[in-house]
Amino acid sequence: MKTPVSVLRLPRGPDPNSRGFDPSSPRFLALCPTSVPSSSSSSSDEEEQRLRAELRERFLRTLLLMTGKRVRFDMHEHVRVHARFGASDIDVLNLQVSDLETPLGVQREALLRCQDVIACSFEV
Amino acid sequence: MAMRQTPLTCSGHTRPVVDLAFSGITPYGYFLISACKDGKPMLRQGDTGDWIGTFLGHKGAVWGATLNNEATKAATAAADFTAKVWDAVTGDEVLTLAHKHIVKSVNFTQDSNCLLTGGNDKVLRIYDLSKPEAEPQEIAGHTSAIKKALWCNNDQQILSAADDKTVRLWDKNTKEAVKTLSFDASVSSMEYIPDGEILVITYGRTIAFYKAHSLDLIKTVDAPASIHSASLHPEKDFFVAGGDDFKLYKYDYTTKEEMESYKGHFGPIHCVRFSPDGELYASGSEDGTLRLWQTAVGKTYGLWKCVLPEELSSENSEVLYCPPAEIKA
Repeated sequence: MKTPVSVLRLPRGPDPNSRGFDPSSPRFLALCPTSVPSSSSSSSDEEEQRLRAELRERFLRTLLLMTGKRVRFDMHEHVRVHARFGASDIDVLNLQVSDLETPLGVQREALLRCQDVIACSFEV
Repeated sequence: MAMRQTPLTCSGHTRPVVDLAFSGITPYGYFLISACKDGKPMLRQGDTGDWIGTFLGHKGAVWGATLNNEATKAATAAADFTAKVWDAVTGDEVLTLAHKHIVKSVNFTQDSNCLLTGGNDKVLRIYDLSKPEAEPQEIAGHTSAIKKALWCNNDQQILSAADDKTVRLWDKNTKEAVKTLSFDASVSSMEYIPDGEILVITYGRTIAFYKAHSLDLIKTVDAPASIHSASLHPEKDFFVAGGDDFKLYKYDYTTKEEMESYKGHFGPIHCVRFSPDGELYASGSEDGTLRLWQTAVGKTYGLWKCVLPEELSSENSEVLYCPPAEIKA
């Protein structure tokens, strides 16, 4: 029987916690523009980042506030439905709702696809 | 002493791997991108299979993936009706190109300035990446979904293979079909070798080699099983092929003789490609893995180490992983 070829180690697999592209790798450092920006662009970048963080926080707080409330969803094709909002998934791709009022009747439990939703409104 | 091939398995994908591509040789080595039905194409170091990063953003199965020569850009084609261009160093999405149907194939020109796409809407599109908002040039003619589209002849011509069982050669400027090849079966894969202008096409159990300029047939070889993909070694001494029977076949290109066959995958092989230096080839399978195979079995290269019998029992040897001997049924 032939001897199998020896191997130093197995190929490294993906890191479960990140998407990779290590910024400290030699290739990244050599090919990417310097991460120390000039002072003027730095302050506008920071300002933009701050605003983005603020908007994101407001969005997440809105989702929390919406939980359990009766929400009106305006969707594509002039669809307007009411339902009790449960939760969103982590990527905000689907919204879990209960007692969804549809022209075909009330759906006890349903998932709404976020890409179909244009707007949602509710009483605070 | 003859040695047994030890394939290196790259795990990480959770669904079938349907396409893979190597970059050219860069100062940082060469790289490999894999397209997967899980929607998350991955970039790996080409000679070791080590994962570098995952391109996140597609919302559907990724059917095609490619890298530019310098491995600074990547492009992917997906079932979410988009083709995306990525920065292959940072992993960031650079461009999303909306299409009207599933996109199956993407290919950069040599200078990375243009991207060719093809898919289920049967139209070839050429995008100028320096003017991404501009409408792409379109080439229509195929009567079924396009499976693969490649630049050839110094990026002056385009080769496309479609489910209408034809392979067509188009002039980029006139957008006319210069030549059409018709087959009895759907073409499963196509590879273009610029150095030597050879086109490798697979259909049914056949691996066929054509001259890329004229589409004149050079030779055909029949395999024991239905073949989904084949690749010709850069020096054109061997080619490898894989398909429905889960095995990888290695043939002598000159004599057309089968030299070796390798088991290892647990599902049909969808794609196989030689690395740019010809030292290894990579296969992607329905089983969700990529495997790297040595061209010269036993040679020290990448993670493979040529070990002399004395070294195996020596206490001073480096930590070596010796795969357990398999018992043949």
